[in-house]
Amino acid sequence: MGIFNYQFDWSVLWQEPYGRLMIKGILTTLHLSVLAWILAVIIGILIAMLRVAPRGSARFLGTGYVQIFRNTPLLVQLFFWYYAAPLLLPQTVQEWMYDNIPNYAYWAGVVGLGAYTASRVAEQFRAGFLAIPPDQYRAAYATGLTPFQTYRYVIIPFAFRVILPAFTTEFLTCFKNSALAMTIGVMETTHTAYYIDSFTWHGLETTTAASLVYLSIAIIIGVSMSALEKRLHIPGMIVRGS
Amino acid sequence: MDLSVIFKNAPFMLGGLILSFQLAAITIIAGLILGIVLASARLSSKSVFYYPATIYIHFFRGLPLILVIFWLYFLAPVILGTSVNEFTAAALAFVVFEAAYFAEIVRSGIQAVPFGQVMAAHSTGLSPLQTARFVVIPQALRNMVPALVTQSVVVFQDTSLGYVIGLREFLRRVNLTDAREARSVELYLFAGLVYFSICSLGSRASRRLEKRRFEAD
Amino acid sequence: MIVIEHVSLWYGKDFKALDDVSETISAGQTVIICGASGSGKSSLLRCINGLERFQEGKVMVDGLSVQHPRTNIQKLRSRIGMVFQHFELYPHMTALENITLAPIRVARKTKADAGRQAEALLDRVGILDQAHKYPGELSGGQQQRVAIARALAMEPKIMLFDEPTSALDPEMIKEVLDVMVDLAEAGMTMIVVTHEMGFAKKVADEIIFMDNGTIVEKGAVHAFFKNPQTERAQQFLGRILI
Repeated sequence: MGIFNYQFDWSVLWQEPYGRLMIKGILTTLHLSVLAWILAVIIGILIAMLRVAPRGSARFLGTGYVQIFRNTPLLVQLFFWYYAAPLLLPQTVQEWMYDNIPNYAYWAGVVGLGAYTASRVAEQFRAGFLAIPPDQYRAAYATGLTPFQTYRYVIIPFAFRVILPAFTTEFLTCFKNSALAMTIGVMETTHTAYYIDSFTWHGLETTTAASLVYLSIAIIIGVSMSALEKRLHIPGMIVRGS
Repeated sequence: MDLSVIFKNAPFMLGGLILSFQLAAITIIAGLILGIVLASARLSSKSVFYYPATIYIHFFRGLPLILVIFWLYFLAPVILGTSVNEFTAAALAFVVFEAAYFAEIVRSGIQAVPFGQVMAAHSTGLSPLQTARFVVIPQALRNMVPALVTQSVVVFQDTSLGYVIGLREFLRRVNLTDAREARSVELYLFAGLVYFSICSLGSRASRRLEKRRFEAD
Repeated sequence: MIVIEHVSLWYGKDFKALDDVSETISAGQTVIICGASGSGKSSLLRCINGLERFQEGKVMVDGLSVQHPRTNIQKLRSRIGMVFQHFELYPHMTALENITLAPIRVARKTKADAGRQAEALLDRVGILDQAHKYPGELSGGQQQRVAIARALAMEPKIMLFDEPTSALDPEMIKEVLDVMVDLAEAGMTMIVVTHEMGFAKKVADEIIFMDNGTIVEKGAVHAFFKNPQTERAQQFLGRILI
């Protein structure tokens, strides 16, 4: 066998019903990832603030969350949310969900991916918070800002610039991790590519298409984030070429 | 809650950890080496190094690992002509993939060294190579070690993806056990607990290293 | 010894840091450069040892042109020592190691020779007992003295100081200035960017006042202080000599 014996048939990509399936799969990847990311950033910033809070109990909660969600693989977490979590709910709730949420796998994916990504976002914001000199906080409090206002107007914007490269990576990672939802049955891009292959044996074309989808997303994010990085650049750090 | 399921099948499931560890070790070592090469190329002002490295990094950072694994598993035998066992396919995919991440960590570590250090070294007559070797890299290493440890923990967790090509590592074995015993809650909590124990050791080491760096300043 | 001819330097396309600057400095002279922030004094200093690339003009040090492609810039730099405002000691090396790095790697001295020389230098600047401490364990004044010793280790003919005491607490300024006075009196060719006028009056042969990238006024120290010729210089002195 060899790659030259392989009969390429790219029409698979736009033939009915495969074309429509691919588009549906791509859209699923997009909205699943975005929903999970929004969840992740909101939870992540809150957890990060807990992690640097002066009160020990707050820190404990924050640290606990991060520890649990960062130290288990996303795959295990997805399996948990999909298979195990519903079993822990009361019988009536389970039945309601069975009747009213037919695409539970999708939502398990959003929650699972969001909760997992939140723990990583939290760590990044915490690193950003710690990189800020304590006097910044004191200066802000001295002018009368509340802790919440301080975080909102002073700390978070600054921390954001500091962690921007890692934050970009995380956004991308979220999109790519959405592919793992295929293991619990979500019909996103990768799963669709695989699924079409099982009907047509033209997996090479579909997986190429899938790769192009992810790469396009990556390029778009990468280019806009690079521009953002440059605009928000803090002078005094080493740049390429030195 | 029927915990006996766990105890009955523990040897089988935990046996998979050996494979997980092997895969992780190979990935970390080979991936880091490749990552350093890529990072240096990316910091170079010569286009012949910069562009290929940048394309490589953006390419692999843009794809899900799961896709890369599938690719290699199906493509490798087609190109090489012979069948490839799951472990080799997984290892290849992992190394090639994770190197892109290690490269970025190395690059940030280097770029976090203040430019004044470079100026000071140059002012005493050190060549760019000497400056890199004695002044920049030691400091860059200190900068990047916590992130490297974290990434290694991620690599270990990623070994669970060997699942999708049937690699009989830990998670696959848990899944097989679940298929037989149908006690999902206990088994997946167990899987989580095992990964958690191993990975939190790594996280704790990373945090301790981070703390030490703050104290040294 | 140092000849600066019609040097102009732009940062980017808009900001002209140095505007047609010319000056000659003879061996053994101690020259002070003063002026407001942004006047170009640090940039001028960095042009002398090639740390800054200027677009127009020529800088000759000891007969060698600094930006000429065939000039061995490393060799040239080892004949010029530089001391920075923020010390820039290598944080991962002890004081001794900071000083011996260049002698061993550039001047190819043996570790023993370099060590002995470093100890002599540390003694000369008054902190031999701190030889095995890390920069993080030293005070600002001590760090700067180590930095001076590091610069002296290559046995330079010229020493450049870029605001050496600006980042120091007031009590530590004297210890650094004392070292610099010693050096000047021993006959070293020194160019010092500083606001320390007491030091200037004590050892400077000439003072150069810069504003907006040009040399506005220069001359003997006492004349400059007693009778500043230009209005800009008068304003400047009026502001700093209260």
